[in-house]
Amino acid sequence: MTAIRKALDQFVETDIDDEVIIMRRDTGKLLTLPGTAAAIWRLIDGKRDRNAVIGALADAFEIEQAAIEPDVDEFLLQLRETGLLADG
Amino acid sequence: MPETAAQLKMQRETRISHGQAPHTLGSEPLAPMCWQLRGEEFLLRGEGDHYFYYRKGDGIMIERGADLDLSEESLWLNGSVYAAVASINGLLPIHASAVAYADKVFAFAGPAGAGKSTLVAALGNCGLPMFCDDTLVLDLSSPEQIICLPGHKRLKLTAEALSLTAASREERVSQTVEKFYAQPPAGHIRRVLPLAELIFLEDGPTSAFIPITGGERLTRMQDDHETAFLFAAARQFAPAEQFGHLTRLAKQIKMSRFVRPRTGSSFQEVVALAAKHVTDAGRD
Repeated sequence: MTAIRKALDQFVETDIDDEVIIMRRDTGKLLTLPGTAAAIWRLIDGKRDRNAVIGALADAFEIEQAAIEPDVDEFLLQLRETGLLADG
Repeated sequence: MPETAAQLKMQRETRISHGQAPHTLGSEPLAPMCWQLRGEEFLLRGEGDHYFYYRKGDGIMIERGADLDLSEESLWLNGSVYAAVASINGLLPIHASAVAYADKVFAFAGPAGAGKSTLVAALGNCGLPMFCDDTLVLDLSSPEQIICLPGHKRLKLTAEALSLTAASREERVSQTVEKFYAQPPAGHIRRVLPLAELIFLEDGPTSAFIPITGGERLTRMQDDHETAFLFAAARQFAPAEQFGHLTRLAKQIKMSRFVRPRTGSSFQEVVALAAKHVTDAGRD
């Protein structure tokens, strides 16, 4: 599997309280990631692939990998469609 | 007396002279009740041929046309012109009224008609002096804290608000504004103070203070009031700079929502709750 990488030139981000706030550089549009979405985003470090992200998330929340796979895949797809993940 | 560099700057930059002002900062004539901001220049046209021109370092030039209502002139000067001068000089004007307690500022934000001035006037009856009405100017020059400049506007209240708050009524604001100047019951604070909290006024069936957390703190700073448009026009931030600016405000300013009913019968209870919130928070 290929490591998942953020499209770092497309956005700026910050943490406020326990949420991640992302702003697209081209549109200025804001995206707020609360809870688990913020946790997934923080696990995307350019080294982990899809399975490693799911594994680390399952460990962090002490749940079965199979239970979270569909939601993680959907979220990763949304991030890719929004242009926040690099191709590849 | 001005205490800080920001106050001195505003005092210097808002000095007024009279004469002929430019009638546009571009190629198109400026329509009445409109403004232009280009770099370090600002031009506002009031009604008719009433122009206010500011250039950094030169102060404000007023050109008065015929049939002038001077009460309108002070509204323009203290409103858009003052906010533009502040913005061009790196200060951030926000649409809020505020009280002071324990050497800190508690500001109430909300759209026009949200009850900011009325609440601030009523809190005077609880011993909380007014810090500003309608516009709060923030000095962001210190990275450690956000400093508030004391208000430059007189308190303005509707007849209904005067009745609710028992503030002492003075002259009518102008022919076109159905409000009256008023003396805040506990007086004014005239010195700079740090900002303790920004409280957003909202209507609701029961009174409650609700903390604002996470990304909402940042989106709440995206005001759609004219003061925000003037600041944006003056600073010309690139999106990433704007994000950094908003992030700083979101991280440094404690924020909450004050939801309360707007009925006359609940007014004193609402004011008492607001006073308790301010005094409890001020002691922290």
